[in-house]
Amino acid sequence: MCLSLIPARYEQEGDEVFQVKQCPEHGSFRTVIWRGPPDMATWQRPKIPAKLDYYASEMERGCPFDCGLCPEHRQRTCTAILEVTQRCDLGCPVCYADSGDQGPDPSHTQIEAWYRAVLRGGAGCNIQLSGGEPTLRDDLPELIALGRELGFGFVQVNTNGLRLGREPQYLEALVQAGLASIFLQFDAVDDRAYERLRGRALLEDKLRALEACARLGVGVVLVPTILPGVNLDQVGPILKLALEHSPTVRGVHFQPMSRFGRFPGGLSDDQRLTLPELIQAIDRQTEGRFPATSFRPPGCENSLCSFQGNFLLHPDGRVQALSQAHDPACCPAPEPAEQGALRTIARVSRNWAAPEPTVSPQACGCGAPQPEGPLSLEQFIEMARRRTLSVSAMAFQDAWNLDIDRVRDCCIHVVSPQGKLVPFCLYNLTSSSGERLYRP
Amino acid sequence: MNMENIRPGDLEWRCQKCGGNLEPAMVTVEYLGNEFTTELPRCPRCGLVMISESLALGKMAEVEQILEDK
Repeated sequence: MCLSLIPARYEQEGDEVFQVKQCPEHGSFRTVIWRGPPDMATWQRPKIPAKLDYYASEMERGCPFDCGLCPEHRQRTCTAILEVTQRCDLGCPVCYADSGDQGPDPSHTQIEAWYRAVLRGGAGCNIQLSGGEPTLRDDLPELIALGRELGFGFVQVNTNGLRLGREPQYLEALVQAGLASIFLQFDAVDDRAYERLRGRALLEDKLRALEACARLGVGVVLVPTILPGVNLDQVGPILKLALEHSPTVRGVHFQPMSRFGRFPGGLSDDQRLTLPELIQAIDRQTEGRFPATSFRPPGCENSLCSFQGNFLLHPDGRVQALSQAHDPACCPAPEPAEQGALRTIARVSRNWAAPEPTVSPQACGCGAPQPEGPLSLEQFIEMARRRTLSVSAMAFQDAWNLDIDRVRDCCIHVVSPQGKLVPFCLYNLTSSSGERLYRP
Repeated sequence: MNMENIRPGDLEWRCQKCGGNLEPAMVTVEYLGNEFTTELPRCPRCGLVMISESLALGKMAEVEQILEDK
């Protein structure tokens, strides 16, 4: 709670795993990390650490105090997040970035310097423009175009979607500038959760944003922040809505709630949703259409940080898992971390962007009957390009459960105002009294 | 028959096992539990098929990538 570096250990009790640590000043802490199957010990995808050509920071105080990245880091950048404004039009009760009216937006010169810093430390990665609410900037199209001109192939905007639904011409300008995908905060299919998490009813705005993206052929990833007791019951309904809106909706990326930024009150163990619980909830709430066995540990970041599965949507409504099932009995051989990152960069840019227009009635999902027997190679490829849904989740780490062994494998990096690359969890790390390790 | 995956020169090859001419045929290929159909040059006697380099590095590699999540 004070952001001091202290020793910690994992303790297993039945099928639950806790992180246990002792702070000389603030006493002992115990936070749940994992509950239920698949067993944490089997959720492994070991990696051979990546060595980068360039590190913007040197090791002085040691991890996690020298981020930039420093040579102790073990993974390259997969996604670089640029916060192009700290302003926001929502003022949610909970906000990782603690956004609000905080000074002027960074200039084009500043943002170009950030892009160039990413080129030095993580060339070839995907870009996410975030905030604050990035669509409050009228010049967002120019910022997207700047990223594309500098060579970034995939530029995504992380948004609440309000302006996209209200001003389709604004969305059109983003698309013309080279936008690849919208990362749409989407917590529920009813307004109860929005009122609790965001302070007001937003479902209609969200659906309007989705319709605008559908009209312009923009790929959308729905991003639900899940808080047990508020919207854990929405996991299945959100996936059902995603299927109904395919191929506009290309993925659903769940984010269990973490205690970052503006977060009134604490987060009890009852309110902490672990990855295996989320996997089981997906299976249960979709009546096995997205089975627990179809999700795998990540090839890019630390195994304990996420899960991912790809699914093919058949015209008859059947959902087929495309990713290989995770085998809990098998001990996978270590893979080079950098190769995993490069695969993830390619997969994200392929699966989260809008699919190419199709000519085949099977691939368009418009109700054409599926042919008897196996698909031809060509039919399968066309369907897979267009009719896939990526389902994933990321378990962020806050001051109560941060493990620097995990954070050194992080591939999602926020660009600091100084142009340093900082793992997302460390950038947002917030003490119980609101102090930050990195965020200004 | 859809000859998309058979180039004219492919049918000039002979079966290594039997020595016979290859003929276009509809075959079912299986990868990681998934079945697909495609036309390939096949030996009518022993059933051996020839997969051209362009098919192996093109469509088949793409299917492999989709199914292996690479």
